[in-house]
Order: sequence, then C-alpha cells, then structure tokens
Amino acid sequence: MTEIILMAHVLFGMLCIVAGVWLFVDVLHANEANQGRIRRVSIAVAALMWLAYLVGGYWYLTYYYVDKAIILKGPWPFAHSFFMEMKEHVAIMLLLLATYLPIAAASNTAVNKGARKVVLWVVGFIVLIGIAIDGAGAIIGIGAKVALMATKG
Amino acid sequence: MDTLSKYTVSFGASLAITSILSALLVVVKELNENSVLAWMKGLTSHHWITHGLLMVIAFFAIGWGLAKINNGEGLKITPERLVCVITSAIVIGGLIISGFYLAY
Repeated sequence: MTEIILMAHVLFGMLCIVAGVWLFVDVLHANEANQGRIRRVSIAVAALMWLAYLVGGYWYLTYYYVDKAIILKGPWPFAHSFFMEMKEHVAIMLLLLATYLPIAAASNTAVNKGARKVVLWVVGFIVLIGIAIDGAGAIIGIGAKVALMATKG
Repeated sequence: MDTLSKYTVSFGASLAITSILSALLVVVKELNENSVLAWMKGLTSHHWITHGLLMVIAFFAIGWGLAKINNGEGLKITPERLVCVITSAIVIGGLIISGFYLAY
C-alpha cells in the first residue's frame, strides 16, 4: 500500500509536468480558439500539483521516517539531509506557483501579450522546478537503496 | 492591450512575497528548534504542515489585500516588472533554501 501511495505521488507530479509542457506550447500559440483549453489545462496543472503535494505529504508524514533512518545510516546521508529537506520546502514554492497559474491564465492570452508572458514564465518555472524535485526524489530513493545494499554487505 | 488584471498583478506580487517568506521561514525555524520549530510542530503536529498552511494562507491574504489597494484598483505594475519580481523571488527563494541545507 505504501508503494502505491508513493507511486501516486510521482504519477500526479509527472502528469503535472506533462500538463505544464502542454500549457506552455498552447500559450505560445495562443489564439481565440484555444482560450478555454488554456484555462482548463491551467486548472488541471494546479489540481495535479495539489494532489501530488497532498499524497506525497501524507506519505512523508506517515511512512518516510523509516526510510529517513535507513538513509542517514547509509553511504548517502545527503539524500535526506540535503535533497529531501530541500525538496520538501521547494515543493511549497511550487505549490504556490501552481495555485497562481489559473489566476494568471484567466486573462485572454491571445490579445494580452503581458498576460501571456506572465503565464509562460510561471508555467516554465513549474515545469523546471517539477523536473528538479522529481530528480531529487530519485536521489532519495537511491539513497535508501544504497543504504540497504550496504547493510547486506 | 498589455495591462494586466488586478488579480494577476496582486496575486503575482503575493507569490513573490510568499516565496521569499517561505524560504526565510525555513532558515528561522531550523535555527530555532526549541522555539519556532517547536511552536510550528505544536500547532498542527508537524512543522511542515504548519509551514505549508501558513504560506497558502499568506498567499491568499496578501494577494487579496494588494487587490484592494488604490481604491480597489489593486497594485499597478507592468508585465515586465511583474515577471522580473516573480523570477527574482523564485530564484532567490530557491537559492536560500538550497544554500541553507548545503551549509546546515
């Protein structure tokens, strides 16, 4: 069950990144016809980020203490002391960016170049930071793996 | 037609302010485990829940407040300046958090 929760966290995060890339391309080609879709996808990005945050947060608060203890005794303690600590706090900034996105995307990005620029920068940050903290999650997983391998000799 | 809506500007500025506040709260709580961190833990059972809640509340409160200034017309800044403010805050906030945990 814990693995399913963890995989759901990663799945929602990855879907958020994919939706973010979709939104970026749609806003680059903004016209009157795709305004409704831009608004819907911006809401989807925010919803997926909230789901990733809440599911990941539940797992972090309920189950992560076991992994943390293993990682800190292993050869990669920085997987927790740097990557997890950084990830859990940068994720709050990412959540705020995703929450702001539908507010910025409510403007007509087909005619308002300023609004288009704001949306492109915000969704660009969501995608880049999302990829970065996804990578941090992978390093945390490897930190647990190398620690378990070390105990097996 | 490059004027941003008052909510785009106000909540964009709030995003920038809250991102910096969040990064500073990381430093403050980690350096004050017996006071700030303990208080945050006591409020919701875990400091990270309190941190997230405080930042989401601050984001909406500051954004709503900035939308009410100038007789309800909200904060006035150009799109270029708003992008610059948001970008600077995200980069500085990220550097504060990363730099702190690298050094801590």
